[in-house]
This record gives sequence, C-alpha cells and structure tokens, in this order.
Amino acid sequence: MSVATQRGGGGGGGYVDRAPGGGSSSLADVVELILDKGLVIDIFVRVSLVGIEILTIDARVVVASVDTYLRFAEATNRLDLYEKGGKDLPGLVQGITEGGAKGKTSGVLEAAAEKVNDMLASNREQQEVRRRPVRQRARENEE
Amino acid sequence: MNPIEAEKPTYVYGLVKADTIVPDGLTGLGPSGQVSTIAHGRVAAIVSDVPIDRPLGVRGDLVAHESVLDTVAAQMAVVPMRFPAVVEEHAVVDELLAPNEDHFVALLDDLEGRAQFTLTGRYEQDAVLREVLQGDEEIRALHEKVRDLPEDAAYYDRVRLGELIVRALEQRREGEGADIIDRLEPFAVAVVTNQLAAPEDVVNVAFLVDRERQEEFENAVEDVGKDLVGRVRLRLLGPVAPYDFIPEE
Repeated sequence: MSVATQRGGGGGGGYVDRAPGGGSSSLADVVELILDKGLVIDIFVRVSLVGIEILTIDARVVVASVDTYLRFAEATNRLDLYEKGGKDLPGLVQGITEGGAKGKTSGVLEAAAEKVNDMLASNREQQEVRRRPVRQRARENEE
Repeated sequence: MNPIEAEKPTYVYGLVKADTIVPDGLTGLGPSGQVSTIAHGRVAAIVSDVPIDRPLGVRGDLVAHESVLDTVAAQMAVVPMRFPAVVEEHAVVDELLAPNEDHFVALLDDLEGRAQFTLTGRYEQDAVLREVLQGDEEIRALHEKVRDLPEDAAYYDRVRLGELIVRALEQRREGEGADIIDRLEPFAVAVVTNQLAAPEDVVNVAFLVDRERQEEFENAVEDVGKDLVGRVRLRLLGPVAPYDFIPEE
C-alpha cells in the first residue's frame, strides 16, 4: 500500500500523504499515472503482427451522474445528523424519548426524536450495503 | 513454426542512456520475470519477455510497467514508453533505437537530474459541504426542504440538491486548484495539469522537479498541505518517471 507518512505524525511535517513510486503504489495510482501516457512510437502500433493480444483498458470517463448527485445530497443530510446528534445518535434519541412529556419543549423534542429515528431507519438499509466508511467515521466521532 | 516463436516479442518499458546501469532486482511482466537492457549507440531500451499464453494488460502487467520505470526513475533519467509497448526483438535496435537515437538522447538530456511528482488534492467532504451550505442560499433552502421530506417523495429535489452541490464544488475548486499550483510552480521546471475525476477532487497536477530542488519542493508542498489541513487532503506521489512530460510524437 501507499501511505508512507500519515498526516499529523512522523517526520517531515506530515501534512501531506506521501507515496513513493516503484511498486509501492496502489493500482488506482498506477492506472492514473501510466494510462495513455509515455512515448508512442508507430512500431508499437504493429503489435498485432507479433501475435500478442492486448486488453483494452479504458480510462475513467468523467460524468457527473444522478448517483453522484444523490451521494452528495445524502452526505449533506448526514452532516446534519452529526450536527444535531453531537456525540452518540442512538443515545441521544433514547435520552430525548425518555425525557418524556415534562416541560413545554417536549413536543418539539419528541418530533425531532421521531424524525431522527425515521432518518436512521430509512438510511439503515443503504448503510449496510455501502456506508461502511461512514459508519466507521461515526464511531470515531463518538470517541 | 509458430509466428510468435519466430518473432520473439519483446516488451519495452522505457529508454535510458546507454552508459547508465539500471538497478538490480527489477521484476518484469514476462514469464521469466527478468528485466534487461538492449543498447545501441548512446541509448538503451529497458526490456523483458512477454507472456504469450494470455492477453497483455492485466493488473500485474500495469503494476510491473510502473514499478520498473519508477524504480529506474528514482536513480536516473528515463523516458517511459506508453503501456503496452511490444515489438519483435530485432526491431528494438533496427526500428526503435537506431533510427531515433539522436531524438532519444535529446529527450534524456532534457530529463537528466529531474523527476516527476504528481500531486492530488481532495476536499475533506464534511468541512467543504458545511462551507457550501453556509455560502449558498438556494442550496441551504433546498437542503432544509429535502431534510423534512421522506426520501422517496423528495427524490427529484435530492437530485437537484446534489447537482447544485457538485456545481458549487466544481466552482470552488477552480480557484483553489489554481492557487495550489501557483504556489508550487516556482519550484518546478514544468507543470502539467490533469483532468479531475470526482467532484471532490481539487487538483491533479504533475510537476517536473530538479533533483537539486526536490527537498525545497517537498517542503513547499508540506506548507500548502499545512495551510489546507482540515479542508483539502493532499497526496504527493513520487518521485516517478516523467510520464506527463513526454512530448507527443
């Protein structure tokens, strides 16, 4: 793998992730680095004459899709959850619910608690499938 | 006779000066795993055998190409070939080195004592999303609307919200990416900006750096990283072969 220096630690300042070349880079790095780059000589075009089959490797096509948009919309919503939740979301929800019907703000709080619950429920399925990094981050936030 | 056996295909990684000694321990993409050089006049090609029982271009082939070139680049000037470069063995001298010797020497002279560094920068998502929300009323309003609706009811609003955010990020990064490059350009011999892939990418730029100024350059990158900490995460790849600085033929 590629991380030589973590930010915040180690020598040389450590504000920048470093990856030396030469076999220590990730495949993504390699593809980005070498694909469609370097010297082209027309004799290489006659590769087929040599009888070697070449796999076609497509460079990533950059199209901002609906999926991308939804990803950012969701990320923004999640941001909101953190800001409201502070430390521990399930704990917060429970605390509010138990806080119960005392005081004049309870109606608002309960509504808020319900909403948070709804959002958690509606997100849960997707979270199982593709939100692992997010959940890990949430856990780090709690600590 | 099998035409492959007759021709003996040879993989060419790149070119070096003939009087240099390429490092030991390179691993090629061919069945032998070995890497050698074929010299002619003042230039030499870094070559290996080629797998003939499978198509070329799997993961290991790409990694071997990069690994050989970058290991060599750490020690000497090298002109990387574009992946995948296969020729008949005899053609390495007859068609590659002999007819282009002067041209290759000129390219290598230009690269002498220099190496490429590729810098990528990516927004720290949460921090920059907060900025976008705070800085754009339309986005904030749409966000608040979407937040209060069930997920399926707000589908189109959510798409629209995401689209506005992506636009805002793209607008934001234009200036910030240029600022990053402006600060580092004085330390480089040449600069090539690459296309950005994801909306949260801020910068993807290759610098050709004189080895004598490498430390100075690296310190400057650190300074930029320090100033951007918490907002943009920088990643510096290199020294690598000068992939982005080979002129189009």
